[in-house]
Amino acid sequence: MMDHSDTMSVKDSHVRRVLVIATHAFTQLVRMKVFYFLAIFAVIAIGSNFFNLPQHEGPESAGTEVLRSIKSWSLGAMTLFSVVISIVATALLLPKDVEDRTLYTILAKPVPRIDYLAGKLLGVMMLVFVSLLLMDVLMTAVLHIRTSMVLDQRVAYATELGWPQEAIDSMAAEVNAMGSTWSLQGAVLAVFLRASIMASLALLVSTFSTSTLFTATVSFLIYFIGHFQADARDAYLHVGEVGQGLVAKLVTLLVTLVLPDFQLFNVIDAVIEGQVIPLVTMGKLVLVALYYALFFTIASWFVFSDKEF
Amino acid sequence: MKAGRKWVILVVAVLGFGAVRLPFEKSLHRELLDVGLLTEPLDIGTRDRIGQTSSAVALGGLRTLVATFLNLRAFGYFTVQKWMDLEETFEMIVDLAPRTRYYWETGSWHLAYNAASYYINDSELPALRRREEWRRSILKGRAFLERGVKNNPDDWSIAANLGFLLSDTYKFQAFRDPDESFAAAAEAYQRAWNTGNALGYVERSAFYALSRVRGREAEALEMGRQLYAAREKNRTPTLLSMIFVLESHVDPPKDPVARAVELFGSEEKAYQVLSGHWFRTRERFPVYGVAGVVKSLESKLGIAEKDSVLNRPLPTPRSLDEMFRDD
Repeated sequence: MMDHSDTMSVKDSHVRRVLVIATHAFTQLVRMKVFYFLAIFAVIAIGSNFFNLPQHEGPESAGTEVLRSIKSWSLGAMTLFSVVISIVATALLLPKDVEDRTLYTILAKPVPRIDYLAGKLLGVMMLVFVSLLLMDVLMTAVLHIRTSMVLDQRVAYATELGWPQEAIDSMAAEVNAMGSTWSLQGAVLAVFLRASIMASLALLVSTFSTSTLFTATVSFLIYFIGHFQADARDAYLHVGEVGQGLVAKLVTLLVTLVLPDFQLFNVIDAVIEGQVIPLVTMGKLVLVALYYALFFTIASWFVFSDKEF
Repeated sequence: MKAGRKWVILVVAVLGFGAVRLPFEKSLHRELLDVGLLTEPLDIGTRDRIGQTSSAVALGGLRTLVATFLNLRAFGYFTVQKWMDLEETFEMIVDLAPRTRYYWETGSWHLAYNAASYYINDSELPALRRREEWRRSILKGRAFLERGVKNNPDDWSIAANLGFLLSDTYKFQAFRDPDESFAAAAEAYQRAWNTGNALGYVERSAFYALSRVRGREAEALEMGRQLYAAREKNRTPTLLSMIFVLESHVDPPKDPVARAVELFGSEEKAYQVLSGHWFRTRERFPVYGVAGVVKSLESKLGIAEKDSVLNRPLPTPRSLDEMFRDD
């Protein structure tokens, strides 16, 4: 019978193995030169500063549109890059290990298959995390500089007009809310959570898929259909009211139960529009993402556990 | 484990997992909708109009990015004055990003100001058509802003913009019933003020609009007095003039000159402001009691009758027939 210290050491060895595999997967992906896309992101983040269309506002409210534009372009690019990286990188990993015969070497050792899969998934998540972190730093820097410029300009204008201090403070708060806020960091976290769910889902698909292309295609399809899941759920729950038949009921039920609800992570749009995400809401989104990631990883292990190579 | 059995277990697990998360996801989705962190799904009309690619991108969680692209497209329509396309594009934009103030304000500005001004001068259309297109564009701009206010009840700026449009000297004739439009303007300004974020001029604008609604003079006077008492900064020449004018209508003072001096501080100041107010007929400001007091002040200040402001021609309200002529 194992005592407490033995249990701890088994746990430690699992964690160590997962971390080693994760670091290896991360290095492997970095060597594929994925970070080159950051140059494109930099162009987007800086370029979004120049979409300064003639507008209806007077000088007392000018400039906030540019801040919204920077956030919209940057978070849009982050979403796109993170989803593409998480799907493509995960889809590549297993076939590449088979092709390089690394998989045989690893599985010949006493490495539990769940450790191998968890390590690979963690490696992809690390890559997505580092990518988002770099993009976030760049976006925050651009936004911070631009917000200061807009604020200086508007405070100068308000002071010239002799606005009372409370009005200037209110205006400054409005401008700052459009700049770099904690909610904006929350939106970046939501981008990461959605990409993590996609990576774990792509991992599940890749355990029974026969090619990288198949995994990537199916995963992208699931990503897009996942944004309809909430609609399917509503249709299922109100199916009797609209007189749909049994087939419609079954289809909507299947979509509801099988696919993740990606619409939940569209809170990003609200942040771009200047709204605040409460911490509790953020916590709930993290819980949802953890639930999906854990389930898909365990399901991947279940499929992968006795797969012959 | 046999492959078939394995698949059955996996399918059951996926369905079971889905059933467990369903109530939580449903309530979280509802919660996010209620606090405005999620928007209602795009309707089929919008999905069709933005095209398959943009629709897919929007459904992929990038609604605001698609709205940004469409805003650039709308600007292109503005430069070539394709007003129908511009209107349609802004309809899509606000469906995609209903909480962005900028889109509601820019869309209405294009419709109520740019398109409307374009039709005043469009030489290819007969006068009657130009007039109707002008009126239609302004009404569209109003409707657009009203939807913006409905979608963003906490936004002071959209509501203030609606108030501004409804009380605009060059626009109110498009609304057929000026009393209704000034009352609606007062309501919009008041709504903006009630958000607690608007600047002081917004509350005064609510008063200026209300004071132009025939039949609500007593209500306007009460509001004007409250504004006067609330802050020194509220005592603008327009506010003082309107208090004098409304008092002259609701509860005429026994000595109008003394009351004017009391309000404005001196005979000279009272004369200067009230004689200026006398000419604001184009803005539809009432002028009850102004002529009498101006005349008395002129005699007190020794201004000859031939130099009296009352002898100068008043700018008549610009009629629509004058604005839209076929020559």
